[in-house]
Amino acid sequence: MTPWRAAVTAPPDEVLAVTGLTKRFPGVLALDDVTFTLRAGQTHALVGENGAGKSTLIKVLTGVYRPDEGELRHLGEAVTFPTPLAAQHAGISTIYQEVNLIPLMSVARNLFLGREPRTRLGLIDFARMHREAKETMAEYGVHIDVRRPLRELGVGAQQMVALARAVSVDARVVVMDEPTSSLEPREVETLFGVIRRLREQGIAVLYVSHRMDELYAICDTVTVLRDGRLVHTGPLAETGRLQLVSLMLGRETSEVRAEGVTKFSGSHDAGSRPVLSARNLDRRHQLHDVSLDIRPGEVVGLGGLLGSGRTETAKAIAGALPLGGGEVTVDGRPVRTGSAAAAIRAGISLLPEDRKSEGIVPGLSVRENIALAALPRMSRFGLVSEARVDAVVDTFMKRLRIKAASPHQKVGELSGGNQQKVLLARWLAMHPKVLLLDEPTRGIDVGAKAEVQKLIDELAGNGLGVLLISSDVEELIEGSDRVVVLRDGSVVGELTGDEVGADQLLRAIAEAAEEETPRHD
Amino acid sequence: MTELALDNRTLPDRSTVVGWLQNYGVYLGLAVLLLFNVFFTDHFVSGENFRTQAVQVSPVLIVALGMALAIGTEGIDLSVGAVMALATSVTSLYLGYGPWLALVAALIGGAVIGLAGGSLIAFVGVQPIVATLALMVGGRGIALVLLPQLKDVRDPAMATLGSGSVAGIPYLALIAAALALIVGFVVRRTTFGRRLLAIGDSRPAAQLAGLPVHRVLITVYVCSGVLAAVAGFLATARLQASDPSSLGNLMELSAITAVVVGGTPLTGGRVRIGGTVAGAVLIQLLTATLIKHDLPSSWTQIAQAVVIVLAVYAARERGKR
Amino acid sequence: MKPHSRTTTRNILALGLVAGLALVTGCTKSESDNSAPAQTSSSGDAGKQVAGSGGGKTCAIGDYGADKLDLKNAVVGFSQSEKEANPFRIAETASIKAEASKRGIKLLTANAQSQFSKQISDVQDLIAKGAELLVIAPLNSDGWEPVLRSAQAKKIPIITIDRQINAAPCKDYVSFIGSDFVAQGRRAADQLIEATGGKGEIAILLGAAGNNVTTERTKGFEDRVKAKAPGLKIVFKQTGEFTREKGQSVTEQLIQSKPGIKAIYAENDEMGLGAVNALKGAGKKPGAVKIVTIDGTRNAVQGIADGWISAVIESNPRFGPLAFATLDSFTQGKPVGEDIVIQDSQYTGANAKADLNKAY
Repeated sequence: MTPWRAAVTAPPDEVLAVTGLTKRFPGVLALDDVTFTLRAGQTHALVGENGAGKSTLIKVLTGVYRPDEGELRHLGEAVTFPTPLAAQHAGISTIYQEVNLIPLMSVARNLFLGREPRTRLGLIDFARMHREAKETMAEYGVHIDVRRPLRELGVGAQQMVALARAVSVDARVVVMDEPTSSLEPREVETLFGVIRRLREQGIAVLYVSHRMDELYAICDTVTVLRDGRLVHTGPLAETGRLQLVSLMLGRETSEVRAEGVTKFSGSHDAGSRPVLSARNLDRRHQLHDVSLDIRPGEVVGLGGLLGSGRTETAKAIAGALPLGGGEVTVDGRPVRTGSAAAAIRAGISLLPEDRKSEGIVPGLSVRENIALAALPRMSRFGLVSEARVDAVVDTFMKRLRIKAASPHQKVGELSGGNQQKVLLARWLAMHPKVLLLDEPTRGIDVGAKAEVQKLIDELAGNGLGVLLISSDVEELIEGSDRVVVLRDGSVVGELTGDEVGADQLLRAIAEAAEEETPRHD
Repeated sequence: MTELALDNRTLPDRSTVVGWLQNYGVYLGLAVLLLFNVFFTDHFVSGENFRTQAVQVSPVLIVALGMALAIGTEGIDLSVGAVMALATSVTSLYLGYGPWLALVAALIGGAVIGLAGGSLIAFVGVQPIVATLALMVGGRGIALVLLPQLKDVRDPAMATLGSGSVAGIPYLALIAAALALIVGFVVRRTTFGRRLLAIGDSRPAAQLAGLPVHRVLITVYVCSGVLAAVAGFLATARLQASDPSSLGNLMELSAITAVVVGGTPLTGGRVRIGGTVAGAVLIQLLTATLIKHDLPSSWTQIAQAVVIVLAVYAARERGKR
Repeated sequence: MKPHSRTTTRNILALGLVAGLALVTGCTKSESDNSAPAQTSSSGDAGKQVAGSGGGKTCAIGDYGADKLDLKNAVVGFSQSEKEANPFRIAETASIKAEASKRGIKLLTANAQSQFSKQISDVQDLIAKGAELLVIAPLNSDGWEPVLRSAQAKKIPIITIDRQINAAPCKDYVSFIGSDFVAQGRRAADQLIEATGGKGEIAILLGAAGNNVTTERTKGFEDRVKAKAPGLKIVFKQTGEFTREKGQSVTEQLIQSKPGIKAIYAENDEMGLGAVNALKGAGKKPGAVKIVTIDGTRNAVQGIADGWISAVIESNPRFGPLAFATLDSFTQGKPVGEDIVIQDSQYTGANAKADLNKAY
């Protein structure tokens, strides 16, 4: 793929541009030679999967991070934003996923915070502030008493206040990070109306979202990031949905490899009756009527874009998310939902996506981490049998080839791959029936990745039911016997047998995006 | 996606020194203070003096044991002083049935406060500092309602407990030592102890690993309450009086100091019982040294502050690593 | 969705809480109190305060700008500063109440629970409820402006007891009735000099730091020792914070490091009793180390009878009779002293047994 390059001379309508932007974090190249331009009146979609570098890019643009290499140009001139405030003064406003306003202050105060209209005596001119606030909010379709505290508003209305505030600070660029994630459909329409007006005023909008429909409804240009690199930028109308999905996931539609690149062996002999069955899982804004079965010895892949509800589905099955409705059975017996302990007792084990904060207990040793869940099996009257723990730990450290200085080394000091193996060991010590693996190989080195993939294969071979979530298309299609495709929290398709291939997967995700209308409760 | 394989062995020397100080500094401090006293304090090396220090440190130490458990879960228990006051009131009210029943009643009182605090923290999700602050205020209120003023205790068994000794070791010190051993054993060898540490280190991970987080948290605060009640009972025996208006005042701070100085991080996931014992003894000895040399009490406070700052500084160094 | 087990757990917990509380508070049985008959005989004449003979300035109702009234039909407000959790406060409040009921006067009371802001609003409440005369035991000396102004507006006479406020007597308030803490310290010194023969090393258990009672009792004691008995050396001065527990702990340290100590001056009875505990614990005989304390609580006076304490200087909390007598004179138009210092008595081996009833 040829990297896209900006013209060296800035066109007149260029508002904000970066050239050759590189940003490193210890051990990670978050942005690699990214070049990108934002023009006046443009509504520019920024897309990419987890870890693609979107948030890093936004943070560089808004003065939170400073680039290690590359140039930032504002209105044609090279600038550096030492602080977020400096970026704000330059007319770059940001609306984050979490509303960053002061909940206890009134709507008007929030709107005018730091630039309140003053009377001649230097006091806040409340009458004028309230009047102007009321007018402003009405433009955003929010008709409320602006003297009420912000927290009394719904999330959508709060988002509107944040947007109004961002725009009213003489913004030339507005960055919106997943602005619709907590909005109702009606509110989304209002938001789009506002964005259209911004466009007319010549304000550039950088729009980050995973929702395809929204992108195509409101954006005119798109930039795709993957693994810290810019892989595409251009008019959105010229980029089909399928192409966009394959750009994000890193697969060319035409290119279907004959040979696998992962360590998965192929299909397994799955039993006939499902070991795990999830029915009609429902959770506001996240899951809608999700059902799936996993048979013993089968690896079921969960496909979909970021934000499609893959992680939520796994967590819901594992009892780690309270549900609005639905049921989970293991071997035909119902499992109490919303309780991790009950799910574990039933034989469900989850390797969470966020290994560092939800998986390992970093300050405890390898040994304690492995023994953590299975402690009751290795103790009597609450007293831990050290001998039994040692035996189990020894077995798994050997079997999974966990590399640590000793069983007493802190898990936080291990490499990602070994941490993942420790977590696997923790669950295997419980003799689970179903393993839910959420991005099991993300962020671990190539060698360890192959080992973990091989292990998954082996475990399924031994009769475990496995649910595999992965943003790595190869891993998903080659590791899975079946792939269930999710979008916006709903099951939109399933690939079985010979259909399990990269082309089909991408098409399923993209077609689903075309066919489906947005679903909201 | 920051992937950092930390390895202690490759860190520079300074960190190693700080790390050592952080783990064993409290013992070093204790040794220095002991040596100072041996050379510069009159009549320091005597059985009678050691007995005095042991008796005086016992209530603080017992409270600190419970505090260490709470801090190990990334919590804190500010209600311990109030629980001591409640225990002394209850002891006085039930002493007519004999000291054993009074002890049981006092322990129940402590357990109830701990249960209330633990439930607020585990089920309602109130922050430990807020939940136990409420109980600190309320607990002492209840204690004063039960026993509005100081009352003498004349039970001979209580007198023996408070000032007696066996083989030259005061009962109070024996009880404190036994409790320290038990708590140390619980932390190291039981499922409860390991779960406590896992919850303190990473609560989301513990929850996802299926640990009974609520049960463990409640048990921790009940333990802390019961231990504080034991301390209140013993202090009553030593004082030969129940004084709910002043007993246990600022005890929460002394206990936290002992725990922190002993090397238990406030961020949870780690409990050092040996360090806590040493921390309590260090603070006691520091106070005693300043009193014995007749320095103004404001000096004691300043000296304690210095020790706390040193301990916290060491903890901060760990945070950076 | 099966929230059953959790709800059950919570119910059990709630039940446990309630049952536990019931256990703790119900069916109690204290030790049988064989110490003394009926506590605090503050209504009787025992231990009644007597004003000192000191001349000083006087104040008459005309000077103050109030109107005469008949005390019998008046409403009196009393604002107490601290919880009645120590013998002094208990006796003080009881004495005011007893005297009011003896005289048939309607008394309104309030307790500030050691919060000064509460005391200010307490007093304003009392005024609002119709108090025509005020007796105040102030928590602080400063910060009384708002109260004095509202009292002034209604011409309400104020008497402060046991602690003075920083304001003009006979203008902002009528008079102050209280002990002379410096004199208490001097008299304690006299007793200690007598008990020790004026020679040897002695220790002081100071009250709470930053408290005027502590400062004054220390000053009176030290000045007198310096002047009268240069042979007495003060080798140890540590705070016992007015509590028995701290008094005991500090004394334990003291007798370890200074075994030759001859006497201890404790600035209140509780610390003195703590010192007695420490001496007992160290196996000392009664009288081996002389103790002089201030306050005059029953326990301390009993300590004299038992031989542990040499003398107790009284700080009389029974303000009722004197306060109401002063109000009575004042409202009838007779001049009263602006600064009425109580003549505190004292307990020694000679009168301890006989006067035990006077102790509070």
